[in-house]
Amino acid sequence: MIPVIDKDKCTACRKCIEICPPQAISLKDDAACIEADLCEECGFCAAECPVNAITIPFPISGR
Amino acid sequence: MTNNGSEKYPNIFQSGRIGRLISKNRIKYAATETNFPFGDGYVSDKEVAYMEAQARGGAGIVTTQGAYPDKLGEGKGFKGSMAIYDDRFIPGLARIADVIRKHDALSCLQILHCGREGGVELDYCLMPSIVPQKLSYFKPPREMTKDEIKQAISDHIEAARRAKDAGFDMVELSGIVGYLISTFISRYTNKRTDEYGGDLRSRCRLMIEIIQGVKARVGDIPVGIRLCGHELLDDRGGNTMDESIETFRIAEEAGADFLSVTVGWHESSQSVITRDVPMGHWLPVAEAVKKKVNIPVMMAFRQFFPHIPEKAIAGNRIDFWELCRPMIADPELPVKIKEGRENEIIPCVACNLCFSRLYYHQPIMCTVRPNLGHEAEEDWGYYRFYPAKKNKKIIIIGGGPAGLQCAAVAAGRGHNVILYEKKKELGGSMLLASKVDEGAIELLRPVNTLEALCRKAGVEFRLSKEYTGEMLEDMQKKKEVDAVVIASGSVFKESHNILTPHNIIAEEKKPGRNIVIIGGSGTGLGIAVFLLRNNDYRITIIEEGSKPGRDVNPFYLWQYMGLMKKKNVIFYTRSRVIETGEKTVRFACPKGEIVLNPDSIIMARSEPNKAWHNAFIDITPEVYFIGDAKKPRRLQNAIHDGYRTGMAL
Repeated sequence: MIPVIDKDKCTACRKCIEICPPQAISLKDDAACIEADLCEECGFCAAECPVNAITIPFPISGR
Repeated sequence: MTNNGSEKYPNIFQSGRIGRLISKNRIKYAATETNFPFGDGYVSDKEVAYMEAQARGGAGIVTTQGAYPDKLGEGKGFKGSMAIYDDRFIPGLARIADVIRKHDALSCLQILHCGREGGVELDYCLMPSIVPQKLSYFKPPREMTKDEIKQAISDHIEAARRAKDAGFDMVELSGIVGYLISTFISRYTNKRTDEYGGDLRSRCRLMIEIIQGVKARVGDIPVGIRLCGHELLDDRGGNTMDESIETFRIAEEAGADFLSVTVGWHESSQSVITRDVPMGHWLPVAEAVKKKVNIPVMMAFRQFFPHIPEKAIAGNRIDFWELCRPMIADPELPVKIKEGRENEIIPCVACNLCFSRLYYHQPIMCTVRPNLGHEAEEDWGYYRFYPAKKNKKIIIIGGGPAGLQCAAVAAGRGHNVILYEKKKELGGSMLLASKVDEGAIELLRPVNTLEALCRKAGVEFRLSKEYTGEMLEDMQKKKEVDAVVIASGSVFKESHNILTPHNIIAEEKKPGRNIVIIGGSGTGLGIAVFLLRNNDYRITIIEEGSKPGRDVNPFYLWQYMGLMKKKNVIFYTRSRVIETGEKTVRFACPKGEIVLNPDSIIMARSEPNKAWHNAFIDITPEVYFIGDAKKPRRLQNAIHDGYRTGMAL
């Protein structure tokens, strides 16, 4: 699943950019932005983000 | 349909007995977490489709992923773990039992309380005693009260009853790698002074009470257990191997009907399932168990080729061949072996991409099988490729994994495909990567399989032939081409003062003793490993990112970084090379500018070959760039790019 970035929470610290294996993240209007075509859905960015601005849209309910 | 596989491997394809049940062969798809179920533990369509693919693939026994038995989620190890703590989960679980039965396999539900690795959504995990752990994924441990132990036992018993109600043929308990039962058994993590701690038998009490309780509740269906035959925790005061082997005998005595033998904990400082471990390496552990018990013994662990379990079954070392990763990579492995189509098996390369996805809350993925998790979606082509609407004439430039995968899919869909490779050999950058360290030769297996699939689908190969702009213009005039796929890899900027990975690995050029490697991703680390394995060098690696090897799987990275540390490799991260000269490298790091004077400079950062871009982009209407030609990345990206493009053509 391609992670989702909360642009309001993002502080543009670049930590996700520096950790992303396929270098699919860049800054756009002062917030991190994932290029979907290059994203390999590893989740490293979500784990790295110091302000929890990046989440993985895990489907929660199967009820 | 031929069956020469069953003649070649008579021991694998003979029937087997577990308790009162008979399986059609000796192959068991072993439990594998997927993160396909929903976050609340319900079974998803994705999981059912995946399990159906496993059952259709021909294994005699198909095991579900471990389901957690407790309602608090203390046993839940992954965001998408399957749940079995309430009757409301039974209908979903029954769907899995149904699809397994439909394909004539025995269904086995695994109950898994993750213990030391559990509590994924909590701020603690449960343990017999408080023994801290370093791995960041794990939660701080909390000692179980006796009431909590009793609760865990009854949770397992009720879970087993639900498995039976859902229609499963057998139940498996998991007590491996740091999961709850194993933490009680191991001296490393069990420091209790009550009846659940102390000598080996007391440490096994939790396991004994669970097995006995489950047997009493579901008695007529076989109940097995996975235990650790060799913890590899000697450096932390774990059990001896003799003790571990004895736990299997104790499990048999408690009533277990079958035993699965595993090796190592997630915290072990020795690698168990990576490419450097030879095939069949752990069979002596299973054999030691087999000698002590009278119930079926099974093992997975680095037995990727059928001749290994065939011989092991014949030699009375194991009774059943278990597979996890090789059947994630290809659920049809059993049927392909049986039909004598071994060369078509999509081969697991032990990259452990599947594993690492789990720890980052993502569904599992597979380097060599892009359609993993999409088995029921027709446009992903797991069971068959949908035919192309219009048959096109397609030129693919480059015979590495990206080009080969694209060719196999495109031709499989009915296109006419010609693949040009300027070298005389197929494989692209895998030809270099397969020489980096021991076991890396396995990286050539997907190349060989893809070549076989290409030939079967009618791809025409033109080897030792460089494709040029003039050739394209000519073909274009004659209307011999509809689309061009550029899979020509990437290039390392060459110059007289700089060596490339090709120079070092293929041409075996010897660099000087002091080396600067530019680029600390997988390529840079690979070169360093290649050099340091056999010789001493003083290596400095300059990397732009915040950590070296960000594209290297953690299972391999810690090994590589261990070697780097031992050999005193110096890393500069967040550092950018400004210029290189005759034996000089000037670069900017966070502390300022530095100049180094090495004997040799190795360029380990590549870029897409722009020349192709300029030559072709205006000539033909359909041009695709895939793999490293699009952006230099890893094997998984090459294969996935190739697959997607092959499906889109």
